[in-house]
This record gives sequence, structure tokens and C-alpha cells, in this order.
Amino acid sequence: MDIFGGLWNGFAVALAPINLWWCFVGCFLGTVVGIMPGLGPPATIAMLLPLTFQMAPASAMIMLAGIYYGAKYGGSTTSILLNVPGESASVVTCLDGYQMARKGRAGAALGIAAIASFFAGTVGVLGLMLVAPPLAKFALSFSSPEYFALMVLGLAMVVLLGGRSMLKALLAMLVGLWIATMGTDLFSSTSRFTFGNMEMLDGIDFVVVAIGIFALGEVLGNMETRESAQILPVPKGLRNLLPTMQDMKDCRFAFLNGSVVGFVIGVLPGAGSTIASFISYGIEKAVSKRSDQFGTGIIEGVAAPEGANNSETGGALVPLLTLGIPGSGTTAILLGALVLWGFKPGPLLIQEHPDLFWGLVASMYVGNIMLLVLNLPLVPLFAQLLRLPVHVLYPLIFGIAIVGVYTVSSSLFDLAMLMAFGLLGYLMRKLDYPAAPLVLGLVLGDAMERALRQSLMMSQGDLGILVSRPISAVMLAFAVLLLLVPMFGVLNRWRLQAIESEE
Amino acid sequence: MEEKSNKTGDFWSGLVLAGLGVYIVIEARRWDYLAPDGPGAGFFPLWYGVVMIFLSLALVFSSVKRASSSADTPIDWGRAGRALASWFALVVCVALLKLLGFVLSYALFTFFVVTVMYGRPIKSALVIALSSAAGFYLIFPTALSVQLPVGIFGF
Amino acid sequence: MKRFKRVIAAGVAVVCALPLVASAQGWKPTRPVEVVVHTGPGGGSDTLARAVAQMIEKEKLVPVRLQVVNKTGGNGSVAAAYLAEKKGDVNTIGFFTGVWLANPLIAAEAKVTLKDLTPVTRLVLEPALIAVKTDAPFKTLKDYIDAAKAAPGTLKQSGGSISSRDNVVRQLLQKATGAQWAFISFPGGGERISALLGGHVNMMVIEPQEAGEHIRAGNMRVLAQVAGARLPGFPNVPLLKEAGYDVPVVPQVRGVVAPPGIPKENLDYWEDVFRKFTRTASWKKYLEDNQFEDGYQNSAELLKFVDTFTGQMTEILKDAGVKVVR
Repeated sequence: MDIFGGLWNGFAVALAPINLWWCFVGCFLGTVVGIMPGLGPPATIAMLLPLTFQMAPASAMIMLAGIYYGAKYGGSTTSILLNVPGESASVVTCLDGYQMARKGRAGAALGIAAIASFFAGTVGVLGLMLVAPPLAKFALSFSSPEYFALMVLGLAMVVLLGGRSMLKALLAMLVGLWIATMGTDLFSSTSRFTFGNMEMLDGIDFVVVAIGIFALGEVLGNMETRESAQILPVPKGLRNLLPTMQDMKDCRFAFLNGSVVGFVIGVLPGAGSTIASFISYGIEKAVSKRSDQFGTGIIEGVAAPEGANNSETGGALVPLLTLGIPGSGTTAILLGALVLWGFKPGPLLIQEHPDLFWGLVASMYVGNIMLLVLNLPLVPLFAQLLRLPVHVLYPLIFGIAIVGVYTVSSSLFDLAMLMAFGLLGYLMRKLDYPAAPLVLGLVLGDAMERALRQSLMMSQGDLGILVSRPISAVMLAFAVLLLLVPMFGVLNRWRLQAIESEE
Repeated sequence: MEEKSNKTGDFWSGLVLAGLGVYIVIEARRWDYLAPDGPGAGFFPLWYGVVMIFLSLALVFSSVKRASSSADTPIDWGRAGRALASWFALVVCVALLKLLGFVLSYALFTFFVVTVMYGRPIKSALVIALSSAAGFYLIFPTALSVQLPVGIFGF
Repeated sequence: MKRFKRVIAAGVAVVCALPLVASAQGWKPTRPVEVVVHTGPGGGSDTLARAVAQMIEKEKLVPVRLQVVNKTGGNGSVAAAYLAEKKGDVNTIGFFTGVWLANPLIAAEAKVTLKDLTPVTRLVLEPALIAVKTDAPFKTLKDYIDAAKAAPGTLKQSGGSISSRDNVVRQLLQKATGAQWAFISFPGGGERISALLGGHVNMMVIEPQEAGEHIRAGNMRVLAQVAGARLPGFPNVPLLKEAGYDVPVVPQVRGVVAPPGIPKENLDYWEDVFRKFTRTASWKKYLEDNQFEDGYQNSAELLKFVDTFTGQMTEILKDAGVKVVR
């Protein structure tokens, strides 16, 4: 079936009133779930599965997909307003988004997040529609050496996130690597750094670390003084309530960057939206003219990761719908859902059930529009949250953090971990250690070690496998370049200093 | 809130991290460096532990060498004390969750923060504490059927 | 007056006899029963437990609600420890998998073994398939093993952790034939399959549901099945034994377990419920739809199985070079 014929039929399905309704329900639920720290799309979708048996499969799929990408829209809200990452990929949005809020530009940040998400989400759907089969084949050629190179590239981003002290940034990243190593080693089943605790056998949940360091660390730091004035200025005037024309111009490249990076990384099974948002942020910072201002509230620093976050959903659906391979936790549950409804996800799904595929694609277009319409007017509403006096707001944030972590695992142990990381976050602020590299190390460290060991197992110990394959060689070269760029700056400074001292 | 670098802070945190690095290396040596099929469980930790030791010692070194300048702000223990006290109160709240349940522990915690930390009158502290706790109770266990820790009083 | 006394006496006798009558009927749950699983919502154990709970309630085998409770963490050890703590609790049961048996062998932190709990019933045996890419030069399992013998260590298999069933099959085959090939761990099924389809590994041990569509699309070929009897979906694929490799079938199991120290009538009740349950048509259909094997064993048989399985696993793990701590 050709693309336009398929899409035409798909819209006929997606625009049916009942499916519009379910799309709305999914998007709304997804936004709510995204706002709540801790609770994420996988658990929500799994819990709603039994209810979907009463619905037509196409409608059910539309609703569940709505939850999936709706959550990406919602996740940015608490990141920007409260420095609380709504879901793991929103951590990167905290970096510049929260700083923008502190400068009174919360509205602009929220708005650009919604707009970037819309743009990138649409690009993701376009990608899914147009290049899915050939891209899926490309994804299959990606294996451990390429993943390793990708992770190295990601870790090289730490160089860009370094900030004032490169030494401290690297040390923070190493601590992140250490936390990532905690748990049972996949390859040898050895327990590493578990301190004799059985709850540590599967490591520490990323959400716990992120909420602890970002949210709790931030609030504890703010509680040092008894400030009666509002710590977050309420955006005044329309200029700060929504992004301006200048903002949109600044973000042109970020929109493109986020869309493409997110989609491509989403296609790779195993690489997720967190990695996508970090890499897109890193690329944005690398090419931006005001690169050294990143981290202080630069709007492109919000647009890029938010976009990557959203187009990743389109990308993640590519291996699911074209090959029947789930690329992430959420798509794995969607796979289970398809099986339960009697579909057989695999290479033949599109041919045998075109109405499901095209109906889904069309509904994603519709859903993205719905979410934009839902979220933009809510921006001023959310911004009003900042009116709350600090002595009310801060306990609320603590409460949300505790509830958020508890809803994920009902584990008091996780709450104890949350306390520990809250203290760590506070200490890091006091001692001027940047938090982003730690999170980067935590997210990538695990994947990088696995990819390296898998690669060496494949090549029976030959390191050459990493450079003999074209894709990984190119990415590693890129990473080396990235690492060398600031070196030039440092070398230059030394050279100038040496010259000066000779005179 | 700008954080200025602090010589003492760098020195001590560098030492702590060097100690962590040593611990990591010692643990990593207990595991296989090379397994028959490829790198073992101890490979990665050994390397990043070693790098951690080097970098943290570099930090300690640079903090010692660097003469005290005007950019160094001494640690304000009063402010730090407030933050640490709030943290401790939160820890107590979590510790009490099993005994008193979320609603009560959280209400107590909020009450403490509003009166002690922010010096509001007791009446408004009570109002804020109870309404926030009630808000959580209404949204989570009631509306969303998400279980919150329940104490000996049954809620 | 005498008649009145006789009536009273009769009444007293009846009242005294009532408890005897009640206990002759045995224990029945009066409160909702907690069903503990070690995965989150949507995970394997969770899905099975919910399906079983639904079927049991539909068949009216139990008078109360069965409520699934997720106790995730510690590779299953958190759920096991939770059950162990509920000593004597008659309103809790749990669903276990092979991980509950293997984990305590390799992780010192996992202190609760299945023998510390009360095994109730074994329900399911999960079969597996040995699959290769369609354009691979192996048409039978013998081809693969011969190729592995000719070039030890060059062929590669993708699978889960080193203590997973994928590796167990590999260890048993290697020991029986003297062949040797590499095992590369991937954390998720999706990654394992794409490693195979992308040509980065040569073979994998895959579950029938996962493989179904890829086989139908012509991307994968199945060389043998790891099962007790041929699966209805794969009538032409030989069993390991039939292919010439008589290795013990160390199965992947799922079943029901209860906290330690429960009264005998409580255990009898659950055994009875599950025995009736496994005979229902809806359960048989569920097994067929999901391509599971009926692995029913009652409590006593399950206890013996635990011993056998643990013994086998200990030996296999030692051969694989994994440190066994119990």
C-alpha cells in the first residue's frame, strides 16, 4: 500500500470521533503521568492494559501511544518549575529550564518546550512513516561496538558540561560511573558494591538519584536562608509568559537538532530518550555561539533536549512496528499489548494490518496537535504555581519527591536512598561540583561498560573491532575531536601564558 | 545563589574522593579482571577507580597550592546548619513512615519546617501542614488509588 | 420438663459438634488474598499472576479476591524475603520463577531460598527454541555443533545473564559434545534478537512467543526445541534428545509458593485449588495460547524438584565459572 493511500485511510481511522476521544484521554493521562516524578509511562500503560480489552484494538493503541508521548510533554513542567525531573529524560531540561524560571522566564521555557516537542514529535512521525523499513535495517547493523562509540561520544559531552572546574566535572562523572556499577554484573553475576544488601542487587534506580540530587539538593540549598521573598519570580507580561519571536529564531537549529538526534537514537534498541536528550543538548552547546552560557538559562538548551525526547518516541516505534523488536521499556509493554490483542508484531505487521499501523501514525499527528493545544494555555496556569510562598512550596516539593519515589517501587529502601542523594546533592552544590556530569556518568556508564565487554567478547579480545567497523570508527573519531576542542583552548592559554611569562 | 570555590572544601572533598577511589580499587581487585570470554567484573571499576584517585589527588594538590584569594568564601556554618537541619527533619519523616503513615509524618514535617525553619505563627503552620497532608491524601490514595505508606493508625 | 432438658441437651450437642463439622470442611480464606510477584506491572510474573487470578475468580474456585502485589527489587530476592517475613500468614501466596531458585546460589545477599518458604504447586514449564538466522549455514543442530567443534570459541550466542537458561542450555550442550562457543549477554530480549538478525551473533535460545513472527517472516530458522515434548506450534522441529543430544532438560519453571510456617489445612486448601485449576479448560487454553508446557506438580513433588534443580544448577554454574555461594 503506498504511503499516501495508507495515510489517507489512517486519518479516516484517527479522526473518527471515538478515536479522537481516546487520543485525548491518552494525551491527558500522559501529561499528568509525565508531571508526576517517578510514575512513568511503562507502569501506567501496564496498569491500563486490562481496561483496553473492552476497546477496539486501534483505539486502545491510539490511547496507549498518547500516554507514551504525552508523558514526554508533561515531564518538562516540573523540571522547569521545580527542578524536579518528571521522568528520567527530563533531567537535561532541568539544566537550563530551571535557570530560565529563576530569571522569571518560566513561561517562555514551558512554551518552547511544548513547541519543540510538537515540532520534533511531528518529525518523528514523519520519519516513522517515510523511512521506517530502511532505517530499521540500518538499526540492525548497529551492534555493541557502535553502541560503545555512541556512549563514548555521550561521555565526551561531559567536557562540554564541565563548567568552571573540569576536574570537578570529571570527578562527578566518575562518581556517576561508580553508582552505575552498583548491582549484579550481567556477565558474571558477581555482586558489585552492594554492601550486603539484597535491595542493591539490581542497582539504584535512576529516578531516585535524579530527584535526590536535583530536587532535594536544590531545595535544601535554598532553605539555608529564611527568604520571605519568592525565590522564583512570577513571569510578568506576555514577553515572559510565552516564547518571543527572538526566542523562536534562536531555537531554529535546536528544533532540527532535537528532532533528528532523538529519532535516530530512538530507533536503536536499547538506547533511550535520556541518552538522546543528553547528546542533543551537547550538540546544541557545541555549535551555539553562546556556548559558555549554557547552564545559566539559555532557551536552546531547553528546546534541543525537549525535542529529542519527543521524536524519540517516533523512533522507538520503528523497530517495534517494522521488526517486532521492542527498543525500550515502554515499547516492550506495547509489544505485549499488541500480542494480547491478537496481533503478531513483526516484519509482517504493516502488510497484514495496515489499518493499525496507519491509524497509529495518523493519530500521532493528531495527538501532537492536541498536546500543543493542551499544554500552551496551561503554561500561565503552571507559572502561577510559583506564586506559592516558599514555606508552603518547599515542603510540597519534599512531599512530591517522597510520593514520586514511593509510587515506583513501594520501597522504603529507595526512600532512604533518596535521602542520601538529597544530602549528596546539597553537598555538591556547596562544594561547587556540577550535577549534570554525575547524571551523565550514571546513565551512560552502565551501557558503555556493557557495550565494551560485549564488543570484546565478539572479537575475542581484539580491540580493533572498535575501529575496524565504519560506523563506530566515525563516532569515536568524532568523540576524540570533541575532547580535543577544549584542549585547543587550554593549550592556547598555556601558550599565551608562556609567551607572557617570557617577556 | 552563587557558589564560590572554597579551598578547604576542595581539599577535604578531594581527600574523601581519593579515599573512595582507593576503596573502589580494593573492591575491584577482589573480582576477575579478565574472564575467559572478555573483561571481567573488576575491569571497569579498577580503571575508573584509578582515574578517580589521580584526579582527586590533583584536586587536593591544586587546592593546597592555590593561595587564598578574595574569591574564597568561608563556609557559613549558620546557613549550612539550617539546610542540614531540614534534611535531618526529612530523614526523621521518612523514618516515621512505617510507624505513623505518610499523612501524619508529612504533616509533622511540614509543621516543623513552617514554624521552626520559617518562623511562621503556629496557627498558620498547623493550617498549612494539615491542608498539604490532606491534599496528598485526597489525590493519591483516594483519587488515584495509589498506596501511600500506612502507619499503625490505619491511614 | 424432662423433654425440655432433652431438647437443651440436643441443642448443646449440636453446638459442640459444629466446630468439628466446620473443621472437617477445612480452612477457607475470608479476606482478600495477597499474591506476591517479583516483577513490576507488565512483567512476566505479573502478567501470569493476573491471568491466573482472573481465571480462578471466573471459575469460582476461591471465595475471595486475589490481589496481585508487586514487590520488585533484588532480582526477586525482595519478594522472597517479603514472603519469608510473613511467617504463618494464611492470606498470602506468591508466584515464583526459576530466578528464585538460582539467585540464592550466586548472590550472598539473597538469603531466602525456596526451601525457606512453603512450595505449593509447580504450574508451568517454559520451553525454548534454538534459532539461527535464515541465511546461516546451519540447517540442523548438528551442523552448528560441528562448526563449533571445528573452530572453538568463534561462534557466538546472544542471551541473558550467565545464570539464565540460555547459558544453561549452552553449558549442557558444551559439556555433552565438547564443542565450545562464546556467550554474549544482553539485558533485553529486543537487543538479543537484533544481535542475531543483524548477524553479530550466530545463534540464540529464544522463547516461542518471541520467535513466532520472525520465523513466519522468514528471518529465523529453528534448529531444535528445548522441551519435554514437541510444541504444537513446531511439529517439525526435533527435541534436543531427538536431534541426538541427550542432555537433561533443565526447565524454566513458574509456580506458586507460600510463606513458611503455615498450618497444614491452609497448604491443603491451596494445593486443592490449584489442582482443580490446572484441570480447567481455560487454563489449558492459556497454556496453549502462550506455548507453555503443563508442568503441574503438587507440593511434595515440587519440594523434590527444588532439590534436583538446585543440585543441577550448582554443577552447571560451577562449570560456567560462576562463584557459587551456597
